[in-house]
Amino acid sequence: MSDARHSTARSIAAHAVLLTYTAIALFPVFVIVVNSFKNRRAIFADPLALPSGDSFDLVGYRTVLAQGDFLLYFQNSLIVTVASLFFVLLFGAMAAFALSEYRFRGNMLMGLYLALGIMIPIRLGTVAILQLMVASGLVNTLAALVLVYTAQGLPLAVFILSEFMRGVSDDLKNAGRIDGLSEYTIFFRLVLPLVRPAMATVAVFTMIPIWNDLWFPLILAPSEATKTITLGSQAFIGQFVTNWNAVLAALSLAILPVLVLYLVFSRQLIRGITAGAVK
Amino acid sequence: MGALSLSQVTKSFGATDVIKGVDLEVADGEFCVFVGPSGCGKSTLLRMIAGLEDVSAGEIAIDGARINDLAPAKREIAMVFQSYALYPHMTVRDNMGLALKQAGTPRAEIAQATDRAAAMLALDALMARRPAELSGGQRQRVAIGRAIVRRPKLFLFDEPLSNLDAALRVQTRIEIARLHRELGATMIYVTHDQVEAMTLADKIVVLRAGRVEQVGRPMDLYNDPDNTFVAGFIGSPQMNFLKGARLGLNSDTLGIRPEHLLPGGSRIQGRVSHVEKLGGETLAYVQAEDHGLLTLRMFGERDFAVDEALGLDFDPDRAFHFDAEGQRLR
Amino acid sequence: MAQRRAFRWHIAVFLAPAVLVYTAIMIVPLFGTLNLSLFNVVEGQRVFVGLQNFATLLGDPRWSASFWNALGNNAWFFLVHMLVQNPVGVALAALLSSPRLRGAAFYRTAIFIPTILSFVIVGFVWKLILSPIWGIAPGMLDAVGLKALFAPWLGREGTALTTLALISVWQFVGIPMMLIYAALLTIPDEVIEAAEIDGVTGWAQFWKIKLPLILPSIGIISILTFVGNFNAFDLIYVTQGALAGPNFSTDILGTFLYRTFFGFQLQIGDPHMGATIATAMFAIILLGVCFYLFAIQRRMRRYQF
Repeated sequence: MSDARHSTARSIAAHAVLLTYTAIALFPVFVIVVNSFKNRRAIFADPLALPSGDSFDLVGYRTVLAQGDFLLYFQNSLIVTVASLFFVLLFGAMAAFALSEYRFRGNMLMGLYLALGIMIPIRLGTVAILQLMVASGLVNTLAALVLVYTAQGLPLAVFILSEFMRGVSDDLKNAGRIDGLSEYTIFFRLVLPLVRPAMATVAVFTMIPIWNDLWFPLILAPSEATKTITLGSQAFIGQFVTNWNAVLAALSLAILPVLVLYLVFSRQLIRGITAGAVK
Repeated sequence: MGALSLSQVTKSFGATDVIKGVDLEVADGEFCVFVGPSGCGKSTLLRMIAGLEDVSAGEIAIDGARINDLAPAKREIAMVFQSYALYPHMTVRDNMGLALKQAGTPRAEIAQATDRAAAMLALDALMARRPAELSGGQRQRVAIGRAIVRRPKLFLFDEPLSNLDAALRVQTRIEIARLHRELGATMIYVTHDQVEAMTLADKIVVLRAGRVEQVGRPMDLYNDPDNTFVAGFIGSPQMNFLKGARLGLNSDTLGIRPEHLLPGGSRIQGRVSHVEKLGGETLAYVQAEDHGLLTLRMFGERDFAVDEALGLDFDPDRAFHFDAEGQRLR
Repeated sequence: MAQRRAFRWHIAVFLAPAVLVYTAIMIVPLFGTLNLSLFNVVEGQRVFVGLQNFATLLGDPRWSASFWNALGNNAWFFLVHMLVQNPVGVALAALLSSPRLRGAAFYRTAIFIPTILSFVIVGFVWKLILSPIWGIAPGMLDAVGLKALFAPWLGREGTALTTLALISVWQFVGIPMMLIYAALLTIPDEVIEAAEIDGVTGWAQFWKIKLPLILPSIGIISILTFVGNFNAFDLIYVTQGALAGPNFSTDILGTFLYRTFFGFQLQIGDPHMGATIATAMFAIILLGVCFYLFAIQRRMRRYQF
């Protein structure tokens, strides 16, 4: 095909580089998942081989599931992540709406105050957060984690969502006002549905660090009943360090949920980034 | 020094042809306007000439040399985009000089070329500014200046006036016409606005659905259209199309321009449905019994009452006859 | 509008939940920590000591050696990210955004996957891969005839920190890639086409047209990398433990803070010194952010297309 702008050689080179990097990116995940389905001897003998008839073994998964606690850890992670996500999105969207929709004294200042948290990590307040949680009796509860993660997620959520909400047509909101809708109805019925793509972006950005966090579970909720899956797998690795089948199976199980969620949201993610966050 | 020739140029996206075998000759120094409704393929054709779109079949040649597979920069063309497409991070001077710099032209020569272009377009005072600090009209002039600096064989304009307001549009139109006279370069200009086409072109190419409907000088198209499409597209207000059978004619359709339809007479009966007085001229819309809504264009101020019965006449010598397929009967 | 005068309660209602949670859990504890760094326990009593803790941190040889070690390691950790992660991210994004690239969505999705994995997984899998016992890395190097190059990189003082930094780069390169990719997509097609016609193609197009236009995004990524790196903890903790071995060669401010606050082995935890380290980290990050905002961002232009 004749083509004045693009050379085939360049496109092959681009694919070669991207494929190489994709292999580097996926290789470790491949190693974990493949070996989790093999027996101990095969894991050591040929770590890069796919499980075959005689090397296939589910002993790792049996060990993990026999351990029993994994289901609980998983449940804890799910509760913490979903609850935090809910509050971040709700509170974040409300504050973003107030900041983007109304002109009031201190609007700019409030925006800066809330954006401060994007730059200053919440972990630096850990010492005092722990004291606060001890004082309020929330140590070793999931509520402590939900509170911390909500606070942690809010700054970015407010920032991204208010950028998006500035793009919602004023005429639409004014039409709602003329039709007699209250400010609350305008927010929930008109504006929220329109910024759904942005909400999805914020959801992904908020969710990943919460699901994967080790610091706060370790400090605020290390008890057996409140361990998250991240902390649980960390402890599990420490405990079963020589039982490679079990460790690999545990890691595979920890990868799965977040991978599925990511694949579901990945299209939204790039659209959200493109439309708002870094214009 | 800039003659363009297209032969059987075709563009397909998958199974659909968007440009269907276009043949065209543009002589050196000619101002050629591609005009047509949106989606007719005029911009695609321009972009194929620029090298921004591949040619699926056929040949494009400049001065007799085939350029189908040449990179855009090697075609000795310059293009002015609808959105101006200025480099936001560069000053006006750098915007205009980039192509020469890229081609390795000595610095003094670049400065000379940009200064000359700036003088032609009255951009001298703006050379150190960036695009964000310019008004729409100024940006447009920089975009044109960027094209001039390269001294191309062929200037390509892709709807360059559509982002300007009405007053500025007229002014820039005059400016472009002046540049064409001064530079004597070949220009290909795409627009959907037939007024721009009529006022600027040496040669108009009317396109519809990827095909050339007619090529000719503006007045040739106006006075001698090949078919109903061209007759209707060129001229404002639009030509009236009357049913030949109702007038006792052999031709299927009779086309009469609004200025050639005369009030008084008995060939056509109708009622005035609306009157627009523009001062210099008066437009009357008449609901004709047999032909639907017709437009009359009269010089000066004329009075009609809405709903008044009105008979119309026309000069048969100034009417165009078309067959059932819309082709002109001569 | 007469209503302008009345207090608009709905604004307060919209703002209240976010502001309350954010203030109570983030801002107040942050200042609590800053405040705590000004106290210490003397003879069982909690007393105000002013900047005494900072004097200890920087003056007492035992403390200051650890602090400077952690800070130096952290700076190196950041430098590796700036020199490897961001250029690789930009390069990948530039390739991804090349016109008519088939499978761009697949590459984008796949390359971002490490970013969504937890540190526990990332740390452990790389430990396994690089482990001399299991032998994936030695085996692979052997296959290309480079077995002699292999060393237990994570176990050696000289290479452990750089190895960890590269693992972190591997994990997070998806973020600069995505942000730069998004920035590249916002450059209008017509500007790129104008460049094609001006003869600016390939590498020249990237350097002269695209790179200047995505500089603001690169700036944002740099400051996010800075904040993230000076706040890092998890990766080091899961691969090398709280002691950040071998021999503290991978100790960064996050692990230093953790050890100080919670104690390790024989030393018991010290909330006041912990708060002091957190305050020092706060100051470093604030300094970096201010430097970015006032020295760099102000000189950068953002372009409206």
